[in-house]
Amino acid sequence: MNYLGRLFACKDPYDCKKDELFLNACKENFDHLITHCEDYRKICVGLGVHSSADIHKPEDIPVIPTMLMKQHDFRSGRYVVMATSSGTSGRMSHIRFEPAALKAALRMSVKVTRYHKIMSATPCRYIVMGYKPHRSNKTAVTKTAYLTTFLAPAISRKFILKHTPEGYKPDFDSIVKALGKYEKGKAPVRFMGFPSYTFFLFRILEERGLSFKLPKDSMILLGGGWKQFYQEAVDKETFYKLAKKTLNIDEENIVEFFGAVEHPILYTDCACHHFHVPVYSKVVIRDADTLEPLPMGQLGLVNLITPICKATPILSIMTDDLGILHDGSHCPCGVKSPYLEIVGRVAPDDIKTCAAGAADILKGVQV
Amino acid sequence: MILFDGKTYESSEQNRLLSQLRKKIPALLSKTLSPEVVIEAVECLREDLLAGRFDDLLTSFPKDIVETYKGQAATLLSKEHLHLKLDTELGSTKEYETEPIEGFSQIRVKKVPLGVLFHISAGNMDFLPAYSLVEGLLTGNINILKLPSADNGLSLKLIQQLIEYRPELSEYIYVFDTASTDIQGMQKMAQLSNAISVWGSDMAISAVRQLAPTGAKLIEWGQKLGFCYVSNLTEVPNADDELTALAKHIAFTKQLLCSSCQVIYVDTDDMGQVRAFAERFLPFLEKAANENASDEIGIRARDTLVAYTQSLKRIMGTESREDHVLRGRRCSLILSDDSELALSPMMCNVLVKPLPRERVGKMLYKGRYYLQTAGLICPEEDRADLAALFVQGGVTRVTRGGNMSVYFPGECHDGEYALSRYMKIVNVEV
Repeated sequence: MNYLGRLFACKDPYDCKKDELFLNACKENFDHLITHCEDYRKICVGLGVHSSADIHKPEDIPVIPTMLMKQHDFRSGRYVVMATSSGTSGRMSHIRFEPAALKAALRMSVKVTRYHKIMSATPCRYIVMGYKPHRSNKTAVTKTAYLTTFLAPAISRKFILKHTPEGYKPDFDSIVKALGKYEKGKAPVRFMGFPSYTFFLFRILEERGLSFKLPKDSMILLGGGWKQFYQEAVDKETFYKLAKKTLNIDEENIVEFFGAVEHPILYTDCACHHFHVPVYSKVVIRDADTLEPLPMGQLGLVNLITPICKATPILSIMTDDLGILHDGSHCPCGVKSPYLEIVGRVAPDDIKTCAAGAADILKGVQV
Repeated sequence: MILFDGKTYESSEQNRLLSQLRKKIPALLSKTLSPEVVIEAVECLREDLLAGRFDDLLTSFPKDIVETYKGQAATLLSKEHLHLKLDTELGSTKEYETEPIEGFSQIRVKKVPLGVLFHISAGNMDFLPAYSLVEGLLTGNINILKLPSADNGLSLKLIQQLIEYRPELSEYIYVFDTASTDIQGMQKMAQLSNAISVWGSDMAISAVRQLAPTGAKLIEWGQKLGFCYVSNLTEVPNADDELTALAKHIAFTKQLLCSSCQVIYVDTDDMGQVRAFAERFLPFLEKAANENASDEIGIRARDTLVAYTQSLKRIMGTESREDHVLRGRRCSLILSDDSELALSPMMCNVLVKPLPRERVGKMLYKGRYYLQTAGLICPEEDRADLAALFVQGGVTRVTRGGNMSVYFPGECHDGEYALSRYMKIVNVEV
């Protein structure tokens, strides 16, 4: 079995003793990328990393910013599935996955969700606080939200964002109506999707003076990020309180996922709401000015590393997020790996420039 | 949002309003708009701006930038300055008769507006859309303005304000928030116009060329790349001051403007000297970059990401090689042995290249479509000769190294006066 296979076969998804295996899997991935993607090779050589022998630690791997992936389409092999980022700022990255990557992702999802007891045999009703799948929507967040509706057998699925001729529109009223019905049933209800829509739902319920006593074991599964929230500074405590008040869902039944299409690793918060780094990835926090790796506990740009995929060079990527990596060895939940706290995002990248752009054409000017 | 004849409408009404405008234009063309009306409205805007009436609109800008903007507005929007601008850019607008010459008829000569001006504004300067529109108004044109997609409502608010001060302007102002992808919509606007004034990237300009009716006059303001030329630094008496000023310019503009310094050329053929210059300049740049760095980590991180992304794009665009980079905190100097005019990674990451005087002409010709500003750091006795060399090669602004992005009252833009491009000369036989 290759290193990737062995890494994703680890029994404990938070095993802290697999650093050597992880590094070897990264080198194996690097050897593929550098020979299958000319642009990636140029970048690595330009940054002084000529072969996997130059990689001694995960942070030595050349980092590709997602900002670049949104401007440039990288390919490094055959693929079966393509997903796009949600394109918050209008541009999106295209990430391709080969069958082995999908298999690894599936193994990871099963292990992680089992560990966090999200997998269940009890049939339940899903309310997806996100997009209803449609052929025109290739965003990963739609796909993953839909996939999570299989973690327990589904009696029904309702989607808050409906595809209309004018694009996607949120339909809060039909959700409120459904809640009234589900409250009287026995099947647990599972909310899945964007925290922002879920939070708006709470607010609507609060404003209308509505509250529901949803059946036991109902859950809120959050994913897709708090993007729109950094400005509003909604703290999670408020979120948990409102969940209890409006839907009678306890804090321990609110589970948050974190991931990105450019880094398809499932981070799931523990009972203490910490995103521990699983065995399949490493997180490096980098200085916002110099991009040098920072020690634990300091705020910087979030560099995510995983060898999961070969068809796109996403081995080591840098997101637009600002975060802190904390020492996890004393977390009461029992997991010992470090945990990632996302603190915010970098300022919007709609940089206003009249010099950029000229250069792209200049390259073609011949004398 | 659409602003049409002083009233606002939903974007979805665009088609109906454009048909209505088509019917309105012929009657409007028979009226004249005095520049004094425009100047008065702008003066009111200036006073209210300085009195802080628009401060709530400017909260998204860093404080020091707001102060800079206000300082500039105090001068640029003043009555005196606008009159000076009219005089400089249009010369005399008085109608006159030609001298009689035997055997020929005399004519009356007059400057008149082009008619309908369609402004396609870029998002690269915060006040550009409104400013471009004011230039159209000063020359008496009817103005259709397509807002840049990055516009945050500021332009529309300022324009509405102008109409509030002088309601007679409303007939001359039609603002649409059409998306750049709405080719049909833009085509309709172009078809209503006599001339199209377009600011933007090469891509934007070539797209406009395709959608413009053949007879429409195209007034293009394209993207440019600025550079600074350093010659004989050891003979420059106040070299450290000059380097400090250049570093401050780079840090303040973050190399985002057309006039910003992307490349520093050293007058030599020897990479050793290029490196020696870079080693001397780096501490100056580092100091300026750190003094100018934002306190907000989000902004600094964004700038770092932009520069890193741009540097990776540069690596992808060239043959595989390692760049020689001198790094400082929040800045870098990238040494390269080619002499091409190129875009830097920006954000205080500057390209440094050798360019002996005898090869200046070749570099300028190769970069001819992107020339605008050249900064000069050289002994005083060489300044005139070097300036002449650059001007002959196509540069339209030669400044001191530190003043590359400074506004000089009376200056032209890319070799032309905007206002004179927005008017035409007519002859009527006496």
